[in-house]
Amino acid sequence: MRLLTHNMLSCNIKGVTNGFPLRLEVEKFVEKEVDFSAEFLRNIFPKIEWKALVDAARSMGYAELPDEADSSMLDSDDFLKKFHHALLELHLEEGALICPETGRRFPVNKGIPNMLLHEDEV
Amino acid sequence: MFFNVTRARRYLHQSHEVFPSLSGIVLSVGHLRTFKSMTDFQEDGSPGFSSLVSEGGLHIQKSISVCHDERCSFSSVQSTPDIEKKYVHHVYDAIAPHFSSTRFAKWPKVATFLNSLPLGSLILDAGCGNGKYLGLNPDCFFIGCDISAPLINICAGRGHEAMVADAVNLPYRTGFGDAAISIAVLHHLSTESRRKKAIEELVRVVKKGGLVLITVWAVEQEDKSLVTKWTPLTNKYTEEWIGPGSPRVRSPSSLTLESISETEENSFGDCQEKQMSNKHTHLQKLDGSVAYENWTNNKNQQEYFVPWHLPYHRAEVSGESARALANGLAKKDDKKGAVVYNRYYHVFIEGELER
Repeated sequence: MRLLTHNMLSCNIKGVTNGFPLRLEVEKFVEKEVDFSAEFLRNIFPKIEWKALVDAARSMGYAELPDEADSSMLDSDDFLKKFHHALLELHLEEGALICPETGRRFPVNKGIPNMLLHEDEV
Repeated sequence: MFFNVTRARRYLHQSHEVFPSLSGIVLSVGHLRTFKSMTDFQEDGSPGFSSLVSEGGLHIQKSISVCHDERCSFSSVQSTPDIEKKYVHHVYDAIAPHFSSTRFAKWPKVATFLNSLPLGSLILDAGCGNGKYLGLNPDCFFIGCDISAPLINICAGRGHEAMVADAVNLPYRTGFGDAAISIAVLHHLSTESRRKKAIEELVRVVKKGGLVLITVWAVEQEDKSLVTKWTPLTNKYTEEWIGPGSPRVRSPSSLTLESISETEENSFGDCQEKQMSNKHTHLQKLDGSVAYENWTNNKNQQEYFVPWHLPYHRAEVSGESARALANGLAKKDDKKGAVVYNRYYHVFIEGELER
């Protein structure tokens, strides 16, 4: 699971109002190279919850992202490369995603999160 | 990686379409759900199914509690009805690898839609199955989800972002996607309120002005003989499961409907040409656009069990099929050399999606 996906995921248990962002529990992660596309990154940037990305990247050992970011930084190649790396090249393979409100664990196996809820959670 | 990999994948997909008869059959399988021989699957017309239906049906009658009360309508929307668990989830879990191997033809309208989206779009595929459409447009980023873990494993094996999730309750932040697709998914949801919720979810997860494409099986089909091969669920069961059809209250956003009919011919190598009428319904909303596609078909009967033949030599080693046989969910068909599963479909009538 890449951090771009993680940036979108939210705990959808009934009654939860604060299900984003999910905290990462990292048992195993890998880095996989992805083709760089500045235009793609510029398009995606407005959707991204920056702090969530920074924290998630840090939990996988990548601390190069600035704590805050704004769209003017998209002109910097250096920034784009770091953004690219954090967003697309870090993969959580084994671990879990934890709901910030309920503590519910959504397991991640072989890079696949299981977000299915139990009967009593819907 | 997805840029790289999808380039390679495109090549692979194209080379699949080079096997003319095979992909042609699969395309007509996709559209009309006929399983003509040549590959491993065949048409089912055997009367053996009525006994399966009645066994299954009786069992289901006991376990489904019908909620007519408005108060329970929320929970009955969200929790998965038994009929879906038995005749959709378990079946697809058991047949996943075989199903996946037959799902490689891309329905052209879906491909056109995906390719029309701007560079860098984030596309969400709810009910992505084996991930056939993930990465189809190499300039976009796809995220797929499906309720079937075995199918998702197949997606992930191809390098796509995928997760196990329920289309009725997407674990996504509101307005994140640029577009969403739901290809041949809604017809597996057994109640109108669940189907409606799934559509609402698709609209919720895309941004304002985002596009949604939904395709479903329709009742009106060109080839009427096909429908006779499916097992209709009788009215008694339909009432139990579906509940009274309640008129939906529409929110006052302005909606204009445009119907565009067109006829499409498929010609693939040796295959017979099938003529199909496609109806496109374009729904414009102030804050989102929804494009509908119906493959049209037949009558008042809308609830069906559609068989899936899993050939013996494909039946899983894990014993999933043996379990299914033991539970009465599947039957052995020695004549055809396959384990036969029934899949639940709510087949849409023309105009039903628009409501």
